[in-house]
Amino acid sequence: MVENRPFLNFLAHLVLIVGAAVVVFPVYVAFIASTHGGNDFLSGIVPLVPGPHLVENYATMLSAGMTSSGAPPIGPMMINSLVMAVGVAVGKIVISILSAFAIVYFRFPFRTLAFWMIFITLMLPVEVRIVPTFKVVADLGLLNNYGGLIIPLIASATATFLFRQFFLTVPEELMEAARVDGAGPMKFFRDILLPLSTTNIAALFIILFVLGWNQYLWPLLISTDQSLYTVVMGIQRMAAVADAEPRWNLVMAAVILAALPPVLVILAMQRLFVKGLVETEK
Amino acid sequence: MATIDIVDLKKNYGSVPAVRGVSLSVADGELIVLVGPSGCGKSTLLRMIAGLEAVSEGKIEIAGRNVNNAEPAQRDIAMVFQNYALYPHMTVRGNLEYGLKNRGTPRAEIDRRVQEAADILEIGPMLERKPRELSGGQRQRVAMGRAIVREPAAFLFDEPLSNLDAKLRVQMRVEIRRLQRRLKTTSIYVTHDQLEAMTLADRLVVMNGGLVEQIGSPVEVYDRPASLFVAGFIGSPPMNLMPIEIVNGSNGANALGLPVGTDIVGVRPDELSLVEPPEPSIRLDATAELLEPIGGESHLHVRLGESDHTAILSVPGRPDVAEAAKFPVYARVKEMHPFSRETGKRTDVACAL
Repeated sequence: MVENRPFLNFLAHLVLIVGAAVVVFPVYVAFIASTHGGNDFLSGIVPLVPGPHLVENYATMLSAGMTSSGAPPIGPMMINSLVMAVGVAVGKIVISILSAFAIVYFRFPFRTLAFWMIFITLMLPVEVRIVPTFKVVADLGLLNNYGGLIIPLIASATATFLFRQFFLTVPEELMEAARVDGAGPMKFFRDILLPLSTTNIAALFIILFVLGWNQYLWPLLISTDQSLYTVVMGIQRMAAVADAEPRWNLVMAAVILAALPPVLVILAMQRLFVKGLVETEK
Repeated sequence: MATIDIVDLKKNYGSVPAVRGVSLSVADGELIVLVGPSGCGKSTLLRMIAGLEAVSEGKIEIAGRNVNNAEPAQRDIAMVFQNYALYPHMTVRGNLEYGLKNRGTPRAEIDRRVQEAADILEIGPMLERKPRELSGGQRQRVAMGRAIVREPAAFLFDEPLSNLDAKLRVQMRVEIRRLQRRLKTTSIYVTHDQLEAMTLADRLVVMNGGLVEQIGSPVEVYDRPASLFVAGFIGSPPMNLMPIEIVNGSNGANALGLPVGTDIVGVRPDELSLVEPPEPSIRLDATAELLEPIGGESHLHVRLGESDHTAILSVPGRPDVAEAAKFPVYARVKEMHPFSRETGKRTDVACAL
């Protein structure tokens, strides 16, 4: 790692620049598209320089949306997405940190079995259990409300596993010192474990928030009522119009708007996020 | 301020016994040191007293109250851990206050005790710092402070100095001793370092294999080790343990006035001398193997007679002994410790155990 060879430096930078370009280019195209007028796409050539309709497009999106093509205004959809993403992230963190606490710090029968059952579900994507889950949610009368959007996604094996791994690195003596200091299990959890987990919680919040925000299939199944559409599925509706060209300028404006909240969350919590992933000293 | 009474205490991990029946009475204000090699059960014993390990059998009483099933917090004890176990996200003050807050101690009382402990331990300027900003010795002080502010019936120390470097360890050892004298709090201290044990203890408890080998003041334990194990464990360099045949040929123990049944004789390295003492002594033929000068004295390793048996002598200064030189060494009969190989115990008047 301490080698100083110009060619390797060049190569490393080349790879990084190409990688960054590959990631950024589609975002750039989307942004450029959102600054053009509705007819600029009929030619079939994708414009690569900004057009004059930036303010107009975004204003349309924010006020009326594409009501003509069966999608509700973007504002309420973004609120729905926000509620869902925050609900999923907070719910997952609360449930998984508590289950990890139970698995690591309490001795109860079938403790290891419980852990491995949680761990094995890591390998099952949501899609595998989507039909039975839908049946359960429907029977519970949770279709078309926030509960139905959030609750089925709220248990997370990944987060439980990560918290377990973190708790295992906390020295056992801390728990014993707390016991001697007169702290019961929940007091220990609140006063010692929770403050120590802040950076981990922040890192997980970002990951889970983005995960929740980007949910597509599940909201599509659960919400048939326009007032519950999330922005990711809304975009799909805007793009899928019958017998006409999609209004790409407006669709792309929606895409850019939809991408903003996760970016803002990451920017706001970036330092905690990195710290949570790399910090080893406890 | 309290006595601690332990009666026939046992601890099994599954079918593996860790502590196999220990009885011990700690007087009020006494500092007891549990010492022994790793795996001898001393830490387990301490953790049972603290309430961090369940008791398999037997009884623990603190201040006359049976605490077998009490939570650690209800036992009125404070513990100092080997790695200090300070709460990393709290300031030093937060660390000191935590136990008191949990007990609902009034604010004014908390402040008074924290101030007092900070004065005693000279950690006043560090009260608002986090543990990670402190050095090892300072963390150690904070860990002690956390115990002091509680004003408990007993202090329990679990190898508190083993994470410090050698110089600091000596310094903190003296401080712990001074502090304990000043506060007069009953204390139990676990260590594997026999020097620490000798210098700190009012009474030593030497443990081996989950059993107590000997209980006594450091001087008693050093002067009259009750068993072969204690004889070999306490003292540095360790006591020379020699079969009787090497010491006195075929004449046996009786000829030396040692009790019947003695077949191993122990002599401390500093009781072997190169010059013949005026008192009755025996003469052993020795061949020099190695001379280790360690400053004011030297350790001389010798082979005894024609056997493969080796012994160590502590001799003052730096004697001019060439390797493979042959010379006599003398051991006074009075300073011989008689042991039986079969029972592993002393064969003269048994020590109170």
